[in-house]
Amino acid sequence: MAKYEIKIGGLGGQGVILSGIIIGRAAAIYDGKYATMTQSFGPEARGSAASSELVIDTEPVGYPYVVNQNILVVMARGAYKEYGPRLVDGGMLLYEKDLVPIDEEDLKRRKIRYFGIPATAFAEELGRRIVLNIVMMGFFAAVAGVVSPESMEKAVLASVPKGTEKLNLSAFQKGLEYGRNLLDNK
Amino acid sequence: MANKKIEGYPRTVVLKSGEEIELRLLHEGDKAALLKFFQDLPEKDKLFLKEDVQDPNVIQRWIDGMDFETILPVLAWYDGRVVGDATLHMDKLGWSRHVGEIRVVVAADFQHKGLGKAMVKNMVAHAIDFGLDKIIAMVMENQHSARKAFERLGFEKEAVLKGHVRDIQGNKQDLIILANDVSYIWNKMEELVSDFDPRRFY
Repeated sequence: MAKYEIKIGGLGGQGVILSGIIIGRAAAIYDGKYATMTQSFGPEARGSAASSELVIDTEPVGYPYVVNQNILVVMARGAYKEYGPRLVDGGMLLYEKDLVPIDEEDLKRRKIRYFGIPATAFAEELGRRIVLNIVMMGFFAAVAGVVSPESMEKAVLASVPKGTEKLNLSAFQKGLEYGRNLLDNK
Repeated sequence: MANKKIEGYPRTVVLKSGEEIELRLLHEGDKAALLKFFQDLPEKDKLFLKEDVQDPNVIQRWIDGMDFETILPVLAWYDGRVVGDATLHMDKLGWSRHVGEIRVVVAADFQHKGLGKAMVKNMVAHAIDFGLDKIIAMVMENQHSARKAFERLGFEKEAVLKGHVRDIQGNKQDLIILANDVSYIWNKMEELVSDFDPRRFY
């Protein structure tokens, strides 16, 4: 298996760090891989830049920080502008379609595969904007191929507060379904 | 027509008295059974209903206009007949789109057996799944058992509308609005996605 070096970027309040926790949990606990996660967040809880980094491998991870960022998940324009140029050629970009305007020509030139999802709109349709990161995790599970959807689903359920499981599960399924359809039609 | 997929039905509820009740979502073929359920209700219970549900046209209108995102109707079935009706009413676009109202009616021979409580509990779970912050229910001041069923599930008296309804003898009665604030469940999720202090994850 390739070593995955993943960056997740967005704004405080979008669940960027929780997303990192979920992917890390899915990989290390449920998929039996090795994973490290680091995070960065601003002084404010909402609206400031936030990011998390994961290194996932079948071998023990010797260095916990992302060096060759081969997957980027972005939920805000600023995060795309900052981390997009660091995505390696041939890498993969997953982005929030309604919030992140992408430079398609640049991505094509760098042979980066890119997949967008209107995660915020889907979350609002489900009743809570707050679950946009979980929609994004479903999308990640379908498209990225890093961890199995089953493990991601378990990690989501293990990470969200009691009483919110069902809506979060619906959000995950929505992203997963959208991602699978996108791959089928690509 | 119903456009939101609701999973998990039919589901079974076992009452303290041993009866196994099946909860199902309302569907088109239920008109006759639902009409009979309402027609068989004691007069005193019909008083608590907001519409003339003995009129087949009213039931037909409900069925024709079914939209689970606005009204989620669940019927309780026992031995081939409807013994309970619960609905969750939601306003998807208005200023109270975070609020849902639960209405529950139980057949006379199934009252005081825990069916009402089970149906309210089921609808509260749906309300949370729909992302609502607050759930309300309206009871008359003399609907003691209904009020108790709601209170056992976290509802509290929030307002009283004096002399708002007339009872079967024509006397005015107070209408009590009970409310259950479930937003705290989502407050935890808000904290979790705030991307501020990672220590809370461990």
